[in-house]
Amino acid sequence: MQLIQAVRDAFALLLSGDPVLWRIIWISLKTSLLGLLLATPLAVGCGYAIASHAFTGRRVLIWLAQVSLSLPTVLIGLLLYLLLSRQGPMGGLGWLFTQSGIVAGQVVIALPVLVAFTLAAVQGADVRLAETAITLGASRWRVMLTLLHEVRFGVMAAIINGFGRVISEVGCAMMVGGNIAGETRTITTAIALETSKGEFAQGIALGIVLVAIALVINAGLMVLQGDAHAAPAVR
Amino acid sequence: MNTLLSIEGLKKRFGKRLLFDIDRLEIEAGAAYVLTGANGAGKSTLLRVLCGLERAEAARLVFNGATLHLVPYPRAMRDAIAYVHQHPVMFATSVPDNIAYGLKARGMPREEISKRVDEAMAWAGIGHLRDSPPQTLSGGEKQRVALARARVLRPKLLLLDEPTANLDGAAREAVIALIPTLMHAGSSVVMACHDRDLIHLPGVHRLKLREGRLEMRSAS
Repeated sequence: MQLIQAVRDAFALLLSGDPVLWRIIWISLKTSLLGLLLATPLAVGCGYAIASHAFTGRRVLIWLAQVSLSLPTVLIGLLLYLLLSRQGPMGGLGWLFTQSGIVAGQVVIALPVLVAFTLAAVQGADVRLAETAITLGASRWRVMLTLLHEVRFGVMAAIINGFGRVISEVGCAMMVGGNIAGETRTITTAIALETSKGEFAQGIALGIVLVAIALVINAGLMVLQGDAHAAPAVR
Repeated sequence: MNTLLSIEGLKKRFGKRLLFDIDRLEIEAGAAYVLTGANGAGKSTLLRVLCGLERAEAARLVFNGATLHLVPYPRAMRDAIAYVHQHPVMFATSVPDNIAYGLKARGMPREEISKRVDEAMAWAGIGHLRDSPPQTLSGGEKQRVALARARVLRPKLLLLDEPTANLDGAAREAVIALIPTLMHAGSSVVMACHDRDLIHLPGVHRLKLREGRLEMRSAS
């Protein structure tokens, strides 16, 4: 009964337009999308470069990208905390306990996901695509754009996965952001805080928003993919 | 006839294995050649070397009157040589965009691209495929789009790898009918193939790769 009441209160809170709640949602979306926006070009470029070029240390880079997928975000938060703290090498930036610090954390968290997925997508592309582009006279830049266009659904999946990872992570945002109300309090850090206080309504309301964001983004991806999901892979 | 391409001492190795060691290969401007040889003789690899997809050693290379090095692959050859894969792949755009790809890469004006694409589609008899998604085309249709995609560049040398492989019936005949028109359009053509109808096309010179060496017979 307590759960049902909490869910009712959560919806009431959401519909009331509670400014505190919507500020938390805004900060979460802003930092996650900005982090993703900064990480995507770099990660897609790295993923493509690793997938399409032979060089010494390539396998080590692939291994590192895959290993960093499983790094706990709280560990990334700890490392960033040490870097950004006043005595740290990047302390002069003044990013600790700010949204910029959270964005930096989101970039670090999103990078390996985006690199690993882009790498897999480009490696899975038909080798004749790049060969055809090259023999038709395309520059290296055009070959890259052509290939990324061909594997665009894989790249989109990379971005969606990256977004899923950054919007749902709590450890790094808590450590680097400090969970300051109205400044660095995100959906996940707010849920952790409210739950620890026994205030379930706001936690559930934010949880509902988190699920709604995931649903909308994945629905958007399916629309963009068009007929790709229309037929089953095995008949 | 002028010599378009002359290569001496062309060697291709895979590790320690020497695939071929060709003393001399000469391609005349506007001439057509069929390249035959047993499976694994290196026909496809030779074509891929000529279009820069594979690296090889060459003691001397002259293309269109200019002495060049094969590595790195010269821009002059990239712009003048077109290659059609045995199993052509289509970009996930549209049929006209596939054909226009190389022209766009060369920065050609839009009006000229449109004109050339229309002309190439009419030549290949694929006007009815204009709105078809390229991924849904049959093997024969893809081969014709790929031929149009190469021809539209008006290359000095066109390399075709088994253009009729895995095609039968009308699709194969449609492709075979296009080859002589390519030859008459002024491009030199080199076709790796086993297809007797292509080998016996009139005016076609024969190249044969046997045990790593290249033998040549003039057109009968």
